[in-house]
Amino acid sequence: MTEPGFLDIISFGADGWGPALAAGAWMTILIAIAGFAIGGLIGTFGAWAKISGGPVVRGCAEAYTTVLRGIPDLLVIYLFYFGGSAVVTAIGQLYGAEGFVSFPGFIAGALAVGITSGAQQTEVYRGAFRAVHPGELEAATACGMGRFLKFRRITVPLTLRHALPGLGNVWQVVLKESALVSVTGVVELLRQAQIGAGSTSRPFDFFFIAAMIYLAISTVSGLILQVTERRFSRGVRRG
Amino acid sequence: MNMSAAVTAPVAIRVHDLHKSFGPVEVLKGVSLDAREGEVISILGSSGSGKSTLLRCINMLEVPNSGTIEVAGEAIRLKTSGDGRSRPADQKQVDRIRSELGMVFQSFNLWSHKTVLENVIEAPVHVLKRPRAEAIEEAEALLAKVGIADKRNHYPSHLSGGQQQRAAIARALAMRPKAMLFDEPTSALDPELVGEVLRVMRGLAEEGRTMLVVTHEMGFARDVSSRVVFVHKGTIEEEGPPHEVFTRSKSERFRQFIKS
Ligand SMILES: Nc1ncnc2c1ncn2[C@@H]1O[C@H](COP(=O)(O)OP(=O)(O)O)[C@@H](O)[C@H]1O
Ligand SMILES: [Mg+2]
Repeated sequence: MTEPGFLDIISFGADGWGPALAAGAWMTILIAIAGFAIGGLIGTFGAWAKISGGPVVRGCAEAYTTVLRGIPDLLVIYLFYFGGSAVVTAIGQLYGAEGFVSFPGFIAGALAVGITSGAQQTEVYRGAFRAVHPGELEAATACGMGRFLKFRRITVPLTLRHALPGLGNVWQVVLKESALVSVTGVVELLRQAQIGAGSTSRPFDFFFIAAMIYLAISTVSGLILQVTERRFSRGVRRG
Repeated sequence: MNMSAAVTAPVAIRVHDLHKSFGPVEVLKGVSLDAREGEVISILGSSGSGKSTLLRCINMLEVPNSGTIEVAGEAIRLKTSGDGRSRPADQKQVDRIRSELGMVFQSFNLWSHKTVLENVIEAPVHVLKRPRAEAIEEAEALLAKVGIADKRNHYPSHLSGGQQQRAAIARALAMRPKAMLFDEPTSALDPELVGEVLRVMRGLAEEGRTMLVVTHEMGFARDVSSRVVFVHKGTIEEEGPPHEVFTRSKSERFRQFIKS
């Protein structure tokens, strides 16, 4: 391969790195979305556990958020990747496979990011729920809404309007954390930039372009968040 | 309303020997009360006497420790769980009965993420499963009736307190309730806004609706209600038609209460 110029790096032509970088960016977005969604699910349960769980349930949720605050996120990814691989290897040996079987990096990464952001989202949802006027929830109960209907129609939208600013921060963190998943060999944006940097003599160009793409993703998602925030805060009087 | 009808009309809400404690404090100490269809009962009493708790036990926002609540002849079934606490035996029954009792709160409690119209159709559409178009039509008629038809697309935060409370009354009416429970509906309002809410409530009373109204509005209790109940420290201390209790109550406490 001839040495590419800056334009070749971003070009989508025959020798360009454009398609590879785009695929990496797409993988980054997928990991972030999967991790954020898993975190949302965990956060919902975590917040519910902390708000209305019994002492045992509350204790578990408390332990979960405390422990995850104290462990480096990179380590969580390693634990999931190598832990998952150990399990898969053990299962593989049962069926006669030999040696190390690796766990799919995407799944390990998404789970690890999900578990970390789940701890953050637990706190975001809990704080947001506290800000909801209890009378509005009681009015839903009083008119005969069942638990699930009340949760879906009243509790979630009222909580989300207070949660969205915090969720925006969590999303930015998740986006950056997705880069750590590159250690499992998943070819997301950072890993792709490393590959490009390693196989040409223009490492700075690749990392610079990767930085620009991260910035673009985070800017666009920031705009989407703004629109959503406006939608959910309809009816809130602005001071 | 016609007083003889009050004696013969079927019982809409029956409260029998209701006890309710919060922790070690017994807040209701055996309250019994029948509300017949078409009756307007004003519940008076000083702050902390247990009026809200009584009202909130009727639709199970608070679960009584003992005693019975019947709505239109149907007793709400309670059970005692392992820890000795009393709970509804059938949550579906409680939800259904709640949908038949319209509650109006002191702090309005409109859903702030929904417009006035959305507030009014929410439960008819999602709890009673009425067709949306029909619910909207009925909601608009109710909003006209309480005098805020022009506010139907406003969010509650853009309404005055009086308008919010009238919207909350429309929301309760939209469920076509068998009886309505009002917990100090005018206590959070600026004085100049009290009148518009009381006028709407008087209109409902004249329609023959069954209403239990916790209030400090003596004028309403005297002129609109068919019966006055005075709660003192968790028991009913005095009860009777307003023209009797306001002129010749045997209860020294009640006489003191209306003087202050
Ligand atoms: N959820 C609760 N937990 C503990 N105590 C309560 C609760 N609700 C009411 N109380 C107490 O019960 C008593 C009666 O309250 P309430 O029924 O609200 O009185 P009222 O409506 O007549 O002012 C008060 O002393 C109040 O502090
Ligand atoms: Mg009260």
